[in-house]
Amino acid sequence: MLYVKDLHKSYQVGKVRYQVLKGIDFHVAQGEFVAVMGPSGSGKTTLLNCISCYIPFDRGSITVGGTKLAGQNEETLAEIRNTKLGFVFQDFMLLDGLTIRENILIPRIVQGEVKRDAEELADKLTDLFGIGHILDKYPAEVSGGEKQRAAVARSLINNPRIILADEPTGNLDSKSSRAVIETFIEAKSKMDATIFMVTHDSFAASFCDRVILLKDGTVYRQLEKTGDQGGFQDGLLDVIKEMSQ
Amino acid sequence: MTLTMKTMEQKLQKAGRKHSRLYLFCNFTALMIISAYSALMCSRTVQTVFPSGGDSRKQMYAIFIMTLAGCIVFTIYAAGLFFRHKSAQLGILMALGASRRRLLPGLFREVLFLSGTSALAGILAGFPFVWILWGLFRLILVDSSEMELALDYRCLILSLAFFLLVVCFACFSAWRYLRRTNIMEVIREEHINEPVKELGRWCGPVGLLLIFAGGGMGYFAPRVWEWLFRSYAPAWTSVLYALMFVGLYMTMLYTVVYGWGKYKKNPYKNIISRGMMKFQARQTVNNMLVVTLLIAGGCFAMFYLPATGTSAVLGYLNYTNDYFYQYRADQEVPGEEAVRDLARQYGLSTKDWGSCDYITLGIGGITDIEDGGDRFHVEYLPVMGEAKFLSEEAYSAFTGEKVDVAPGTYFCVNNRQEGNGYLNEGAGDLTNMVTGKSISTEFAGYLHYDLMAGDEKGYYVLDSADYESLEEGLTDDWRGRIIQFNVEGEDSYPFAREFYRRFLESFDESCEYHKSYDRVVKMRAEKAGEAYWMDTEQGEDFRIRYEEWESLRFQTGWEYQPSFRILLLNDYLCRMGVLYMMFLFIFIVCLTTSLVVCYTRCQTIALNNRYIFDDLKKLGAPPAFLTGEVRSQCGSVFRVPALVGMGVMYALFAMILYANDGRVTFYEGIALLICLGMILLIGAVVSEVCRRTVRGIRRQLQDGRM
Repeated sequence: MLYVKDLHKSYQVGKVRYQVLKGIDFHVAQGEFVAVMGPSGSGKTTLLNCISCYIPFDRGSITVGGTKLAGQNEETLAEIRNTKLGFVFQDFMLLDGLTIRENILIPRIVQGEVKRDAEELADKLTDLFGIGHILDKYPAEVSGGEKQRAAVARSLINNPRIILADEPTGNLDSKSSRAVIETFIEAKSKMDATIFMVTHDSFAASFCDRVILLKDGTVYRQLEKTGDQGGFQDGLLDVIKEMSQ
Repeated sequence: MTLTMKTMEQKLQKAGRKHSRLYLFCNFTALMIISAYSALMCSRTVQTVFPSGGDSRKQMYAIFIMTLAGCIVFTIYAAGLFFRHKSAQLGILMALGASRRRLLPGLFREVLFLSGTSALAGILAGFPFVWILWGLFRLILVDSSEMELALDYRCLILSLAFFLLVVCFACFSAWRYLRRTNIMEVIREEHINEPVKELGRWCGPVGLLLIFAGGGMGYFAPRVWEWLFRSYAPAWTSVLYALMFVGLYMTMLYTVVYGWGKYKKNPYKNIISRGMMKFQARQTVNNMLVVTLLIAGGCFAMFYLPATGTSAVLGYLNYTNDYFYQYRADQEVPGEEAVRDLARQYGLSTKDWGSCDYITLGIGGITDIEDGGDRFHVEYLPVMGEAKFLSEEAYSAFTGEKVDVAPGTYFCVNNRQEGNGYLNEGAGDLTNMVTGKSISTEFAGYLHYDLMAGDEKGYYVLDSADYESLEEGLTDDWRGRIIQFNVEGEDSYPFAREFYRRFLESFDESCEYHKSYDRVVKMRAEKAGEAYWMDTEQGEDFRIRYEEWESLRFQTGWEYQPSFRILLLNDYLCRMGVLYMMFLFIFIVCLTTSLVVCYTRCQTIALNNRYIFDDLKKLGAPPAFLTGEVRSQCGSVFRVPALVGMGVMYALFAMILYANDGRVTFYEGIALLICLGMILLIGAVVSEVCRRTVRGIRRQLQDGRM
């Protein structure tokens, strides 16, 4: 589904060039729920932004559903973002002027007219995520957890190949975080969604099938969940402690 | 309703209306100001009164360019502000797969609609704005036939050009935002500040040095050039003044970032606002420079009123006689009896009647002779121009001041302020222009008689024997008579008006010329086989026509214009109406524009830093502290350019008044005091707008409306 090979990315700040990603390699299979963790400055968000086609990368390759991102023109990248990728952001990124239903339908609106099937899918998703009652409300009128669940619903509206989530629980309390993670699990189990999530939260990451740990722009280690969620979290915490030593 | 891209965009536009309000307001105001200014500037009313090539017209154009710059700056910033708000929305749509091609039509539609309607409305409002303001001036301040507003609709070209600029810039900004490849930057645009660059501590002192160096070099370079090369200084020497702007920029930058020493004692004072300003210092200072220019331009226009009005009005009040006039001997002007009869008809009686004869002679002097190109040389011409001469006896009898002039010398008649710069102190020869007889002479000093001092050709006093020898053979058109008298008790305006009418009607067309028209120069030109420039098209601006006797040009330019105190005082505003009202209008426009620029800039600063204010609130900062921080930032934006603009212009004005004759006269001192009062008034207006802006921003930050 998602292949990342020898990915390099650097930033120029004034006269200094900072190497952020220094040759990242990994892949994510269809229907897999993968998290990326690492300390601040390890390159998590930059990696996600490169995969999302939000920022160009220097070298290496990213392949989503068989399509290579490098060398694509803006128009094609936009189409990839719209049809093959779904996005969930830390600060929700809902448009204040639109209702929750309209926000969920944005990826369809961007394609052209919104047809009946899209509206039915939106209803289905919101029912699935327990936010059916807020469809006609505006973002300012709902809670953070509800906003994020709406954002997850939006990310699924075009049946993307992969959902890219950037710290989706970063702005939420533990109850809301749990609810959002559950929407991902629902999406994975009922819609066979592939999820790639960047997070700081070991609890959220412990629900994933696999966790990729980054350090200083390289893959430090990959951990696969073999047992229960609690044990996986303990394992994660041990590796994180090891990384910081 | 079916959801489409178009309906979604419409909905988003509707929801984002509050963010577009400032953009609409700025476009509207800019276009209104530019339309109104250009309408008035191009109107026949102003074009007729302001002499082409004159200083007042140049000032009007120069301030228009400053206003234009100010309007361009605040429309650009308003557009920037609008797109900063818009960028998050654009970024989200781009992140969710909307391509540029998909977004561009909707965005163009929106910016075209917003910029187009607001700019068009501004143009349309500009004309009523001029009509209303000018009408108010006429209603409240001054009205005359010259004040009748006659617009020339060709001024629309300027408005339309600015309209196109606004629309094109809006579309360019839209395109610029969409062509970004880093979507995260588009989304986070609102959070991005200008990069911090370390500003050297040397910046402030060097800035000050450049201001003085630029001013000094700009002022003295042309003189040094002329002295060194004996040719007119090339235009590029004026570029040296540009150093002043560089210096001003550096000084302001330093002021905004570091302040001038007041933080050394307490380095934590206003540390937050100074810290925030570090990120926006350059943008802010760019704005502040424009505001400085606008305020300086507005002050320059406004100072014109007291500078010219004070000495004129105080001068009239101090005239020793109510009526003073002169005429050529070949004109049939109402005599003493006729004047007394007329006065009686108005219940008046005249007193202190005085009269004396004068002769007009050719006077020698030093002048610049152009050698072709920019080169020139200074030469003494024995017959340079014409001047009026009285004998010592006639002058003594007329003024009551006993004068003894030595043979072969002459005195210049000046006012007590010694403010007539036209007087010739270097005449070595005086010539009878009919017979050609001449004598050698020498400057002996000044006499003081205010009523004679206003004459451009100047009055001079000769030894009686010299006078008699030069008078011999002169025809009546080279002789003249001066009359003065007072009125018993209170003067009558209708009498003065009627007398003026009769006086004017008594002149034939041979006297229908400007006070700058010099018959001696004309004779010299004709002798050289050239046409006198005043008789060519170049002299059109100096053409005097009896039928235009009410016009400013006639009233201030006719060679034989009399001084009737009651008319001078009562009709002063009417006479100067168009000139003064135009400058008053310019002042209002400049001040309005500068306040709008400051307001927009403060909004930008508050918007850029609203997260910091939120954080401070979370850290427990009390409302008074937050208000203090907002006030500190807005204070810099309003206060610094206002103080610099007003201060620089005041100093420049004082320098001009001083440079005129090497001193500041009593009247000029009063004018400077009035200007100081105006500065205080402008300062109060700026402070009040600043106070309201601070209050508004605090409210917006409080309500989370930013």
